[in-house]
Amino acid sequence: MEEKKHTSAHYEKELQEIKESLLYLGAMIEKAIERAMGALLDRDSELARRVIDDDDLIDQLDVETEERCIRVLALRQPAARDLRFIATAIKINGHLERIGDMAVNIAERAIILNEEPQLKPYIDLPRMADITRCMIGESLDALVNENVELANKVRKDDETIDKLNEQISTEIINLMMDDPRKIHVSLLIMQIAKNLERIADHAESIANRVIYMITGKNVRHKSPFETMDK
Amino acid sequence: MKSRLFYKILFSYLAVVILAVAAMGFLIARQMTGKLAEIIEEDLMTHAWTMTPFSKGEIERNVSTLAKIARARVTLIDAEGRVIADSERNAAEMDNHLNRVEIQEARIKGRGKGRRYSHTLGVEMLYVALPVGEGPALKYYIRLSRPIVEVEKSIAQLYPPFYKSILIMAIVSLLAALIFSRKITSPIRKIEAFTQELINSTVPRTLLIESTDELGQVAKNINYLVQQQQEKVKSANEEKVKLEAAFAAMTEGVLILNGRNRAEVINNGLMNILGCRYDDIINKTPMELFRNLELQNALDRFRETGSPVLQEITLRDESPVILEVNISPVQGLSARDKKTMLVFHDVTRLKKLEKVREDFVANVTHEIKTPLTAIIGFIETLEEGAIEDRAATKKFLKTISEHANRLNRLVDGLLTLSSIEMGEVELHLEGIPVAEVLENIIPLMETKVSAKRIILHHEISTGLPLIMADRDKVAQIILNILDNAVKFTKELGEISITASQPQDIKNYVVVKIADTGIGIPKSEIPRLGERFYRVDKTRSRELGGVGLGLSIVKHLIKAHQGRIEIESSPGKGTTVVLYFPIA
Repeated sequence: MEEKKHTSAHYEKELQEIKESLLYLGAMIEKAIERAMGALLDRDSELARRVIDDDDLIDQLDVETEERCIRVLALRQPAARDLRFIATAIKINGHLERIGDMAVNIAERAIILNEEPQLKPYIDLPRMADITRCMIGESLDALVNENVELANKVRKDDETIDKLNEQISTEIINLMMDDPRKIHVSLLIMQIAKNLERIADHAESIANRVIYMITGKNVRHKSPFETMDK
Repeated sequence: MKSRLFYKILFSYLAVVILAVAAMGFLIARQMTGKLAEIIEEDLMTHAWTMTPFSKGEIERNVSTLAKIARARVTLIDAEGRVIADSERNAAEMDNHLNRVEIQEARIKGRGKGRRYSHTLGVEMLYVALPVGEGPALKYYIRLSRPIVEVEKSIAQLYPPFYKSILIMAIVSLLAALIFSRKITSPIRKIEAFTQELINSTVPRTLLIESTDELGQVAKNINYLVQQQQEKVKSANEEKVKLEAAFAAMTEGVLILNGRNRAEVINNGLMNILGCRYDDIINKTPMELFRNLELQNALDRFRETGSPVLQEITLRDESPVILEVNISPVQGLSARDKKTMLVFHDVTRLKKLEKVREDFVANVTHEIKTPLTAIIGFIETLEEGAIEDRAATKKFLKTISEHANRLNRLVDGLLTLSSIEMGEVELHLEGIPVAEVLENIIPLMETKVSAKRIILHHEISTGLPLIMADRDKVAQIILNILDNAVKFTKELGEISITASQPQDIKNYVVVKIADTGIGIPKSEIPRLGERFYRVDKTRSRELGGVGLGLSIVKHLIKAHQGRIEIESSPGKGTTVVLYFPIA
């Protein structure tokens, strides 16, 4: 939105505020994922509880941001680019809020897992979490810099996450088959992986919305490789 | 091109001169016309007087002769106004003249004059009339008149010399005006050209005007001002260059936000910290740039209180970067365009060192405490009566001795480490063959290796150059690495030792120890040399390590001017590569 002056400085400010609160929400989400994973890896249930507590703040900000969007829609009747931005913002806001809930899911499972002895050292799970968090960050960077390339990278990263998820599932299934007593713990780990995979899906959706906002083209339900060259 | 000022001065001179001359001419001409008319009137009057003695009849008869003598038209008019005789016209044809101004004036005042257009002759005439006889005895009037053209003729004779003098005056004053205006305008034009040059170029010369009047002083003042200005600009530039250099060179990142919360000024330090180009940073908000909650909250706090805020933030990148941010207002600006200065100081290294130190203290106390607790516990048990049971006593003493030995090993290790670190360990450097060292070591490992049924290969290239090293210390290094390899390799694993000198490495002999052990996560590798650092805290202690082995190896190999590289992938194994300098 920068460099393009609107007739009303106030309108300009409102749009910027929406963007800032989206980014703030994004930062909170990134932190929530980081803490949830930290709770799991360092077996720190206190950290997990903080994630669960902070989710209220995320929900609150989610509502506020949406209200801001609706207000601008109602009062300013934005057109073209601004309209796309507001529409995208509402969608991204929803995705971010969902991601926050998933971070809570992970934190809740971490608390249970921390009660049990560690099944095996986590190797793929932190990798998955890192890539996922990176995807959220990059999709928001793409929003800030209006960078289609970066958004496309996020869309491709989602495939890496899917593969990692499959790999973890296979491994966990093997563990369960070896020792049925570990099924409970194994399932929790599998759910965490599933949550991370869902977060990555949301990040991909955000990237899609960003591409739509910048180019006006809808790339949802298309493979990133299909849309890359266009 | 002459300046407009020049023309202004020139034309005003000319106008003044011309106006003055014209006014003078006009006045003189008027004065002279009046005077001449008076003279002619007097002349006519004199002639009229000379005629009065003649009788009416005499005048009538000699009117043309009289006219010739008087060089005037002579008219004889009777008391009733009838024209008796006229030198130029037939008297009978002329109308009654009683109402003529000059006649009326003569009748009342005794003499009359007039100046008017004569209908009889059709020219403007000067008239003079005299009555002969007074009051009721008035007999007739003698009237003389001469055309006014004569006056104008005589005045016209005066004009040519008058015009000539005017022309001469005009030419002289034009020349004077030219010279004078030139003298005034040329320095002004010089000043004008000079100031124009000042505007256009950056390197002005000196203004040269050789004059002692006000203009000369103006030139001097201008020169002084220019020189002063140049000096000021120069020193300001120098100052600016210095500041810019310092600003660009400082490792701290600097970010100045404008009133709209957008990045306005940044330095190289910030670009390095963020890993972004200038265009990616400028005009963005801090939220867009950092997306960091702590920073945003700190900024909000700063805006609320207005006092500087110090905040530590962690940037999540591939490896976390810890920054200390100092937020303060930019001083010396009006309240309207409020600017905020953010200074970022990278404290990642400091924090890491701090953590290493903290970990060290925590670890060393823990490491010492564990065996001590065991020793104290067993001693207490013995004191409480267990000493009577000989078998138990023996077992307890053995355990106590084990723990005491462990404590001893720990203290030994720490001492070794600190003496290496302080450079107190003397290396007996000599050229030694690596093969010999390895062949001495490998048998020492046999028992441990065969206990875990690990296969140990070794492959030593022939003809390796001697290495410059301390024989015992090299053995210690390799033993340490091998010991770790054995510890972390499961039963039936493999360990291979190779010594070679690859073609692309000239100055080193390379000893490579590879295992098929549990491996080390990539993120942990940089921390391996830290004292007491353990990848897996519980397991390594179970295996009897004190957590100093790799630290000692790292320092020893550094003392040898060699180096160590560790490659590992979790679950697959670890390869340690040692480089020893050749003799």
